[in-house]
Amino acid sequence: MFDSLFGWIEEMWSFAFMRRAFVATTVLSVSVAPVGAFLVLRRLSLAGEAMAHAITPGIVIAFVGYGLSVVSLLVGGLAAGVLVAVLTSLVSRVTILRTDASLASLYLIALALGIFILSAAGSAVPLKSFLFGSILGIDDETMILIGGVATFTLISFALLIRPLIVSTLDPTFFEAQSRNPVLVEQLFMLLVVLNLLAAFKTLGTLMAVGLMILPATAARYWSSTITGQLFVGFLFALASCWIGLAVSFLAPETPSGPSIVLVAGVIFLLSVVFSPLGLRARGRGGSGAVPTTTTEGGLKE
Amino acid sequence: MVLSCAGLSLGYPGHVVARDLSFSLHPGEVTAVIGHNGSGKTTLIKTVLGVNAPAAGSLYWTDPRPREIGYLAQLTEFDRRFPIRVRELAAMGAWRGLGFWGGVDEAARVRITAALKATGVEAIAEKPLHQLSGGQLQRALFARVIVQNAPVVLLDEPFAAVDQTTEAQLLELISQWAAEGRAVILVVHDLSSVLESCSHALLLGDGSGLFGTVEEVVTPENLVQYGYYSASQAAWFERASARHSAKAKGGVDV
Repeated sequence: MFDSLFGWIEEMWSFAFMRRAFVATTVLSVSVAPVGAFLVLRRLSLAGEAMAHAITPGIVIAFVGYGLSVVSLLVGGLAAGVLVAVLTSLVSRVTILRTDASLASLYLIALALGIFILSAAGSAVPLKSFLFGSILGIDDETMILIGGVATFTLISFALLIRPLIVSTLDPTFFEAQSRNPVLVEQLFMLLVVLNLLAAFKTLGTLMAVGLMILPATAARYWSSTITGQLFVGFLFALASCWIGLAVSFLAPETPSGPSIVLVAGVIFLLSVVFSPLGLRARGRGGSGAVPTTTTEGGLKE
Repeated sequence: MVLSCAGLSLGYPGHVVARDLSFSLHPGEVTAVIGHNGSGKTTLIKTVLGVNAPAAGSLYWTDPRPREIGYLAQLTEFDRRFPIRVRELAAMGAWRGLGFWGGVDEAARVRITAALKATGVEAIAEKPLHQLSGGQLQRALFARVIVQNAPVVLLDEPFAAVDQTTEAQLLELISQWAAEGRAVILVVHDLSSVLESCSHALLLGDGSGLFGTVEEVVTPENLVQYGYYSASQAAWFERASARHSAKAKGGVDV
């Protein structure tokens, strides 16, 4: 049994595109883990999902006009992301719509527009690969993009981790402490968009945010510290990528994005039930119990 | 005097909640801010903190504005599921001095441990926030304020989710801060705390405010006029405060 398993792994590793895919997703896991953790902690999981859809028309227009080059993807994706963010803010400020409703409306328009343009332009890239990713699409340029984004992300987190923690936990306290509190939020959203773009070719526009959110939400069940959650989130993202890629290799008709995100989903569901802070621990009256507001002030446990 | 303002209006763009406020803060004084819901108490705290701009008027700091202002938000603004431990929460009070990268040095560590001890949470210092009761969390946040070591302290409804024992112990800490020469603003709903621990009061209501000593401001007539109490509540308060005064003077209950 082990012989056939090793033989299969050896066969998979013999393909250059699979080696690229494994290396790319490993680097990607390092990069998206902290971004995903803070998306979840800042209660922006759905905003991240919306932003993933919002950048679609920018990527499509860049692709139709200039092909799948890294620079065009970056410029197009960033422009679309910023445009949707600015319009969302404008609509929620000057009309009666709240931010969530205006963001949902605009990202749906953006997603539909992107798919419409891609279809109307008679794209050479199959729509399925665009939406759900393809392990065949990882070329040298993509490797450089992923490496660059991961480097920028890690350096940014080394600089921003303390302000990010304070601004997430207690925003008013942070505003009082910081000279430019909005800067941290803007830099963080820039990191979100950059990582979505880096994940685009492997996971597709619809699945890219899945690798950020699911490992991060699963990690919340395993650790009560930020460092622990970042590390566990990375391990879960890495495991999702490797197993998902292997599944996609075994069943070539399945795109890599859903395979990876599905594995992350299984890890999440297992964590909900079996982790130290999950349902089983809660059933035993352990530390997984959800905090409730009480008025006990004493120190008696 | 630490801070003064005259003709200050509080609010947000297009919506003023209180106009023409005048008050001052002095070292060693505890000023209570009282008022009905929506009267502008939290807006006042955020304006003094520098997070909200005044709708009109200005704040005048006697010396340059203190680099550090101690601040405690309402517990409802706080994410209790955030993965952080009590000791790390208290350490946040030192982060401004430590900057982006600075590690917690020995002096800061001593300050943090002393603050945890003073607030009675040293034994649960390694516990994550989601395992704390409301009172324990409030104590941990008081520890952060102590670590901030600020000349001005702003507390927004610090007793909203704590029992009476905890409230009494936290009030003792506030009195101690005043004795150390800090100026404290305390948003509070329970008037017995005001009578007990505050020297001055700012009563907000119906778009305006009244500032003075507690004896001048916290009267049944003013509480009714500024919409904080109904007439029957004011009558009850008058009887209760008469009892309180008699006790304070060493007399018998009336």
